[in-house]
Amino acid sequence: MLKLIDFEIKNVLENINLTFEEGKTYVIMGSNGVGKSTLLHGIMGRPDLEIGGSIEYNGSEINDLTTDERAKLGIFVGFQSPTSIPGLSNFQFIKQSKKLKAVDIKSSLDKFKELSVSLGLPTDWDKRNLNTDASGGEKKKNELIQMLMLNTKFAMLDEPDSGLDVDGIKSLITQLNNWKNNNNTLVVVTHYEKLIQGLNPDSVVLLKKDNVTVGDKSLADKIFSSGFEDV
Amino acid sequence: MQIKFLVVGLKMYKNLFQETFTLENSTAYETYYKLGDIFNFLTDDLIVDVENSKSASYFDAFNKPFLENLKHLRNTGLPHKYQEQFNHANLAKLYGLDILSRKDRELSFDKFDYLAVKNNTLVLCDGEILVSNNLGTRKPFNIQILDKIHTNKSRQLEYVKYIKHTNNFSNLTYALSPFLNIVVFPAGSKDRFYKNPITAEYRNVGDEPFLSCNTTIFDVQHNTKVCLKEDVKTLSGQMNNNIYILRENSELVLERKSNDYGGWNIFDSTFICHPKSKLIIDTKNTGSIYTQENFYIDSTYHTNVKIKGRNKIFKGNNFHQYVYQKSNDVDNYSRIDIKNIGNEYADTSFIGRYDVGPFSVNFDGSMNNNNLMLSKNTKMHTRPILDIKTKEIQCQHGCTVSNINAEQLYYLQSRGVDNAKDVLVESFLC
Repeated sequence: MLKLIDFEIKNVLENINLTFEEGKTYVIMGSNGVGKSTLLHGIMGRPDLEIGGSIEYNGSEINDLTTDERAKLGIFVGFQSPTSIPGLSNFQFIKQSKKLKAVDIKSSLDKFKELSVSLGLPTDWDKRNLNTDASGGEKKKNELIQMLMLNTKFAMLDEPDSGLDVDGIKSLITQLNNWKNNNNTLVVVTHYEKLIQGLNPDSVVLLKKDNVTVGDKSLADKIFSSGFEDV
Repeated sequence: MQIKFLVVGLKMYKNLFQETFTLENSTAYETYYKLGDIFNFLTDDLIVDVENSKSASYFDAFNKPFLENLKHLRNTGLPHKYQEQFNHANLAKLYGLDILSRKDRELSFDKFDYLAVKNNTLVLCDGEILVSNNLGTRKPFNIQILDKIHTNKSRQLEYVKYIKHTNNFSNLTYALSPFLNIVVFPAGSKDRFYKNPITAEYRNVGDEPFLSCNTTIFDVQHNTKVCLKEDVKTLSGQMNNNIYILRENSELVLERKSNDYGGWNIFDSTFICHPKSKLIIDTKNTGSIYTQENFYIDSTYHTNVKIKGRNKIFKGNNFHQYVYQKSNDVDNYSRIDIKNIGNEYADTSFIGRYDVGPFSVNFDGSMNNNNLMLSKNTKMHTRPILDIKTKEIQCQHGCTVSNINAEQLYYLQSRGVDNAKDVLVESFLC
């Protein structure tokens, strides 16, 4: 589904070759500051990153596409610290993103409310300003709602567990497992053992500055027991 | 250069004093004058003419305050660029604007015939006030329009005292529009004109830069609730001087929309807030070649003032706003919340002042001005001033000037929003 060929981000990562296949789940691990989040935003097309190499999505190079064009292809990144936008409500944001027509608004709103209630968010969540006056956990849940509401095919989540309580983690695992199918791909940056167990990833990727190590779930176990340096 | 009275206010002036002045027609069709030229004529030739005129006694009472106004104007001069309410760079541009004299001074109001099929609408144009059919009729508790001094002399004189000597443009506006138009919302109307709002349209007769001046008093009488929707369309130069009197227990909701149609505009609004009155102002501006919007609020006690401004200033436009609130007595409440967005080459300024007097205990004020610059070529100024002369008050201010937040922009784009900048602009204005 998505292939990184000799991919590099100036001053952060280099010589990264990775393939994310359709219908699979990946967990990315790596020491602090190695560039895990930057990798996700590099794929998403953050304008201030200088990218080298090639990003192929469904067989086509997307290096020249803007961020919103990549998003429209179904690429999604869940932020580690989502920014707040006062004046724009959570549901208005979805409306703007999906460019909803009048006839579709009600059904989308119903789905939005259903999701937010299932994640334990307040009943007026749709009317609240985007990530404004929200706790860290609520922001993360909001990222998940956006991912599920939008036409996401390739989801990259950056530490989705941070800030979530015990029930929140359970809901997160349930929602992500329900979302997974043979036509989409899930990439999660996390170091949380229970989340990795819950998601049961097909591959674990250990990211270093100039190379990657790909293994199965046992690679994660090895990292947890020995640390990054010994792997 | 001999400059004579070449602005539309002349017609009213002639009516007022029932005299014909020797006027020299412009030899060319298009002859331009500056605001300073008109000021010189008013404070030089016109004062002499008024002093020497042998007006009918009918007008004597009114002649005196008008003459005083001219003399005051002569003494104070045009507003100076270092006065508090003006950003220092503003006025040079205003004084450099061309004002067209016109050969044919006859006014034609034909284009306002649409009033015949409208309700609850006023048109203020070149010192005249035109009304839709339903407002012109004498019905119980209908609004009263006092628009001709010779037919409403005593009532007019009641209101002339509200034309105070100031250091802004309002005295000049009054000098150019000596007919004082008065709109009275009678006490018995209760909330009739809140449920059925009145629309006041500020218009110019022509599309060319003739100067149009209006001086109007809106009197919201006791226990009355009124919603006034003002629509300012300046095809050419326009100077408005409005005085709003909010009597005891009254409420005025003022929604003002000012759009750019190629002209320039100075709008001075004075609010006299009697005890227990409530004032809600909601303004929207696009700016223009030059727009100066001033609010002067005079609060007695137990008054409630809320001002919300959402101004999206178009490319290259000017918009300058001054808000002054004077709190004289106890328990006044005020919220000022102005947000400006400046497109490329826009030039905006906000200057706000709370003047809290020594007896104004328990004043509760909040002044906020947030500015969003959409280009590095935008100029935006903000200056909050709190002048507090008493203790036991609650007062705060917050003023910001910022650019589009790159993180927010990227966040929206990462969700597929292709007009992310527009969405951020709209969110900012919410």
